[in-house]
Amino acid sequence: MDVIEYIKNKRLIFDGAMGTMLQRAGLETGGLPEVYNIEHPETVLSIHKQYVDAGADVITSNTFQANAFKLKGSGYSVQEIITSGVTLAKKSGAEYTALDIGPLGQLMEPMGTLRFDKAYELFKEQLVAGEKAGADLVLFETMSDLLEVKAAVLAARENTSLPVFATMTFQEDGRTFVGCDPVSAAVTLSGLRVDALGVNCSLGPSQLMPVIDELISHSRVPVMVQPNAGLPSIRNGETAYDITANEFSEYMKTIAEKGAAILGGCCGTTPEYISKTKTAISDVPYVKPELPRETAVCSGTETVIFDGGVTLIGERINPTGKKKLKEKLRAQDFGYLVGEAISQKDAGADVLDVNCGLPEIDEAATLTRAVREIQAAVNLPLQLDSSDADAIEKAIRAYNGKPIINSVNGKAESMDAILPIAAKYGAVVVGLCLDENGIPETAEGRLRIAEKIIAAAAAFGIPKEDIIIDCLVLTASAQQSLVIETIKAIRLVKQLGVKTVLGVSNVSFGLPARPILNSVFLAAGFGAGLDSAIVNPMSAEIMKAFRAYKVLNDQDKDAVDYINNYADYKAEGSLSAVSAAKSDISVSDGDLKSAIIDGRRELAHDLTAELLKTHDSISIINEYFIPALDVVGDRYEKGTVFLPQLIQSAEAVKSGFGVLKENSASDGGGRGKIILATVRGDIHDIGKNIVKMLLENYGYDVIDLGKDVPEEEVVKAALDNDIKLVGLSALMTTTVKSMKDTVAALKKAGSKAKIVVGGAVLNEEYVEFVGADYYGKDAGMTVKIANEVFGHNN
Amino acid sequence: MNGIDLDKSEILRYLGHKNQAVNGDIMKTIDVCADDILKTARYRYIYKIFDIKMGFRKGESCIELSGTNISLLGNDIYEHLRDCKKCALMAATLGIEADNMIRVAQNTDMLRAVVLDACAADFIEKVCDLAEREIKQKAEEEGYETSFRFSPGYGDLPLETQRDLLNLLDAGRKIGLTLTDSSLMIPGKSVTAIIGFTKNYSAPVKKSGCDICSLRDTCKFRKAGSTCGRN
Repeated sequence: MDVIEYIKNKRLIFDGAMGTMLQRAGLETGGLPEVYNIEHPETVLSIHKQYVDAGADVITSNTFQANAFKLKGSGYSVQEIITSGVTLAKKSGAEYTALDIGPLGQLMEPMGTLRFDKAYELFKEQLVAGEKAGADLVLFETMSDLLEVKAAVLAARENTSLPVFATMTFQEDGRTFVGCDPVSAAVTLSGLRVDALGVNCSLGPSQLMPVIDELISHSRVPVMVQPNAGLPSIRNGETAYDITANEFSEYMKTIAEKGAAILGGCCGTTPEYISKTKTAISDVPYVKPELPRETAVCSGTETVIFDGGVTLIGERINPTGKKKLKEKLRAQDFGYLVGEAISQKDAGADVLDVNCGLPEIDEAATLTRAVREIQAAVNLPLQLDSSDADAIEKAIRAYNGKPIINSVNGKAESMDAILPIAAKYGAVVVGLCLDENGIPETAEGRLRIAEKIIAAAAAFGIPKEDIIIDCLVLTASAQQSLVIETIKAIRLVKQLGVKTVLGVSNVSFGLPARPILNSVFLAAGFGAGLDSAIVNPMSAEIMKAFRAYKVLNDQDKDAVDYINNYADYKAEGSLSAVSAAKSDISVSDGDLKSAIIDGRRELAHDLTAELLKTHDSISIINEYFIPALDVVGDRYEKGTVFLPQLIQSAEAVKSGFGVLKENSASDGGGRGKIILATVRGDIHDIGKNIVKMLLENYGYDVIDLGKDVPEEEVVKAALDNDIKLVGLSALMTTTVKSMKDTVAALKKAGSKAKIVVGGAVLNEEYVEFVGADYYGKDAGMTVKIANEVFGHNN
Repeated sequence: MNGIDLDKSEILRYLGHKNQAVNGDIMKTIDVCADDILKTARYRYIYKIFDIKMGFRKGESCIELSGTNISLLGNDIYEHLRDCKKCALMAATLGIEADNMIRVAQNTDMLRAVVLDACAADFIEKVCDLAEREIKQKAEEEGYETSFRFSPGYGDLPLETQRDLLNLLDAGRKIGLTLTDSSLMIPGKSVTAIIGFTKNYSAPVKKSGCDICSLRDTCKFRKAGSTCGRN
């Protein structure tokens, strides 16, 4: 019987620690335990056998760190260690052998430098070797990053037929080292359809109880628990754990009663712990916990559950009708998207829609990059919005957590393309009530399409909880009599047991005072049972409707959020008085130059707006921004101001630039295009970002390639944009080498760009070593260099 | 939390402050950032104490850590531990939350990002102090004095030693501290160090930090006529 069948009817017992046992057998501290598979196979086999004798149904192979990173320098290949490890586990006579795979040991982007595809390849190598050696399942364990687990699970699913168990390690604060919580783990891994999920290592069984409760109440698959033998302490220089086998087994009994299906031990546990556990749980009936009936989406660290009330999906990252966003997408300027994401989150969005569809760009690549960049800055779940199935699939692979797909519709073609993706990656999917015949006029017609989508999804194993139906809004100015059909449709569709969503703003198209119509329509939708809406959280009217409804439906407990936002609320008339007073500031408050020099951000913003009435952008830049910055730069160089003051002034200019950009199509001052990048292997980019801000202040257009940038990316950007100046930064002595490689690659490719380098470990002497043209000691110096290269010396 | 307070004058020093007038906005930003990083960062540290002996590898003297197959290479660490019987390896980190906070701030407010970065720099020093006090106490219980903290990359102790230290401490699993291929520690606000235990605290151990520091030619503190404070 395969292991998946087995856990349908019976609890499964795993073994306990291997490392602990090997240390007892003489393994050196810091040595690779996996090497014992080859150098001391009898020791490993004897430990496996002790666990079998103790009653373990599954033996995990001694292959936790057997990946190409960790084995480097060990003298053995991944195949050798895994083949020997799995073979030893099988020899033990256990019912099942689990291929054991731990984290790769490097953090994934954006926290670290490990790329998804690289992680996937490393896991694939281990998995293929493990399956070939005869493992019955794979156990990914002691994981911290959901995205890394996702790479592992996909590598298993796409390259082997091994059943997949995945467990993560949580700290005292209930989160993993990278911030993942048990709910997001359960939601994401259930979505990815692992065969079991759970927790191992980290803490003792008593401390893990809250984590186990959360996993069980949000998991759709059997839950696995392998705690340590309590908390570690150092006794006589050795790590010891603080609970006995008896105590351990009592806790494990409680955990079995909670409904955990798979039990075992981690650090500090021995065959005794397993055998006592087996005895302790023998009379606990195997009752499987009730499966969660919830619509949940998450990022790698935060979950939003739709069943708790109404959910706001921010709509602003969508180029349709937005000139500025279109420009930014064409220029691949993701900083702007990230800014939009942050401001929507701050305004109160629960989920963010992300749409990068523009005919002239590579949508799949852009959406994927946007997902990565936004997830690096904002922990809200995302809704991947595209009509292109390929773009959806590429982006969903990069996505950390369980996203929403926007959208599928009732057309056979759409369902055939999108539903398999939603099923495979475990996404919630928005279903639009339209099909080959368009949008039905009646509520009943839309209900029928919803039913069709739900049935088609079920065929792919997608439960109702993972479907959100959009009953679609028609425009009041064009089809007024049909508007109310949407509200009726919501009521009908809700009876099917699915959640609903609406993009409301379409209703007011062509009419004045659109926010009024939008917010009243939204309220009507809520009244009919609408669960979520795709709206603009920056709209005051929309937020009023949302916040008010959250009080009325008992979602905003004690109206805390409502009071926070509206305690000082004034009726319309007095509001305009306030804004009139605000716009009344005059230039007598000090002129723009001194506002910049003093680093007064708001004042610089307001004064720029004021000046713009009488001056054009170029003259404001040349007569105010630059001279003021020159003064500050000069003082910085002389040491009469220090870095934070320089940055305050730069921020002041930035806010002034914000005003100029709002009022003109062109960005910046057109002084010239500069590439900036923190080189491969290095992720310390704060210095580079300061340089970027200052260069932009001076009117340069900066193409920011980010951090850990491979040589070829710099070369491509330099050639594509006919770049005259490239700025490279490195903070580590070890990454100065990448800087040198990047310079060499640029020259080899025939780029004529001048190269300026900077970073903490550099000095003038390095310029020659890396082959650069200039050393930018600080941001001010780099501006001077840019001025020289572009001939803007004044 | 846990009695850690940040030191505003240190934070200013990390920001390159010497004697310039500091405006109220900056002081306020420092207060807010210090508070935020103290609340958000989840600092952790671990250490392990090893018996050591003087050895010889690749034609040079080195320090061997008993019960491991690891040796510490280079003249400076040899000098540092020459009179020691034991040493403690320690690793400390502010956790990924500090990195995330600084990264996010760079999208919206560079002043905040830079100040957070400086606060984090002071914070991790304070965490190291905490670990060091604990280690010192252990040493004193056994009748030893301790040396100052010596880190990989310092003097001629190769930066690559970082990998051995983190492996010996099982730092990935214990405190979530990892290393990239270019020996970059992530989370970024992390420190590893070696502290010697001696009954015979002699001159070389007390040698000024800058004299043997490999960063002495490019150090931003030295350029500004100051030091990083580790001497």
